Amino acid sequence: MRALIVYCHPREGSFNAAVRDLVLAKLRAAGAEARLHDLYADGFQPVLTGPEWQGYLSCPDNLQPVAGYVADLRWCDTLIFVYPTWWYGLPAMLKGWLDRVLLPDVAFLMPDGAHKTIRPGLQQVKGLAVFTTCGASWWLTRVIGAPGRRTLLRGVGFLCAPRKKHVFAAHYLMDSSTAASRAAHLGVVSRRMDRLIGRVVPVEVPFAEAAE
Amino acid sequence: MRAHVVYAHPCDDSYARALCDTVVGTLTGRGWQVDLCDLYAEGFDPVMSAEERRGYHSVPGNTAPVQGHVDRLRAATALIFVHPVWNFGPPAILKGYFDRVFVPGVSFRLEDGRVKPAMTHIAKLGVVTTYGATWLRATLIGDPPRRVMTRAFAHAAQPDTMLYLALYDMNRADAARRAGYLARVKAKMETF
Repeated sequence: MRALIVYCHPREGSFNAAVRDLVLAKLRAAGAEARLHDLYADGFQPVLTGPEWQGYLSCPDNLQPVAGYVADLRWCDTLIFVYPTWWYGLPAMLKGWLDRVLLPDVAFLMPDGAHKTIRPGLQQVKGLAVFTTCGASWWLTRVIGAPGRRTLLRGVGFLCAPRKKHVFAAHYLMDSSTAASRAAHLGVVSRRMDRLIGRVVPVEVPFAEAAE
Repeated sequence: MRAHVVYAHPCDDSYARALCDTVVGTLTGRGWQVDLCDLYAEGFDPVMSAEERRGYHSVPGNTAPVQGHVDRLRAATALIFVHPVWNFGPPAILKGYFDRVFVPGVSFRLEDGRVKPAMTHIAKLGVVTTYGATWLRATLIGDPPRRVMTRAFAHAAQPDTMLYLALYDMNRADAARRAGYLARVKAKMETF
């Protein structure tokens, strides 16, 4: 397994960082290769610029500004997102990763003479995982329609292999979380990772002290 | 009416710019005061910092990093977003506007852990957008940006009028469809 973890949280020591570390530990214990995009630590620039937009369809020049990120995306067969849900969706930083890295000829193929619509370009990605935290409750998130989950599992999922494995876990009501609820959630993440990896990989689940 | 138009597109020769000009021109023509916020031109920074995240719930200090944007939003009675949909959501620069400006005390209040509307000065809430996806594909995916706008933000503002205008399958839209959509946007803004 070659896993790319796209991680987005402004504060080191957050609960999302604990989820990230657990994901990395599971992959290590399973003998999988892992690469990490830590967007805040990288100082990733999420704003698609005017010149980038103008050259958006010019493959392969379009990937020059984010060549390293694109190389990792093409390398991976498993894509894992770890982030807090803000306004029912992805933080701007992570949304910008989608905008700038999921480019034509990388993530999808544009319509042409023979094809009427956009076609998937990440067929090598056979595993997709989404781990997030939400301030809202499960119920409210569902009423809104879980836009973040849909964006990644269905939107990005559409670009991946059709018969991929996908897993999802969210800790809801994060602002009133307790040490016990956070520890329980790390247990859920651990089991979801087992499902993604395809077997039970024993690692010690850390005690989650940090909130959000 | 005082309209705040928040616009997100990097290029001045884009179709999005034409949509924005139509919105601003039509509303101005009706005698409205229009305050245009061009996020790209203003160099808006969409990234919420660690410090901002830490102070997120500290009303009213949480507005300090984006006070100018909060003041402009609070002065408005109509709020209109003009933007393309990229990857099933608004461009990052606009998502960052939501992350950083729509903070507690501005767009919502938390009372006993429940979300209460705080943007009720907005009587009219509108979106003018374009999708690369077809209507069918966007709907199968669940149309995330439409849901956030017509459910989450509509709840925060409780507007009398909610308008969501979209041109789907933008990449294959010919000149006639584009002109038709511009005309539709103009007509809707005449009666917004």
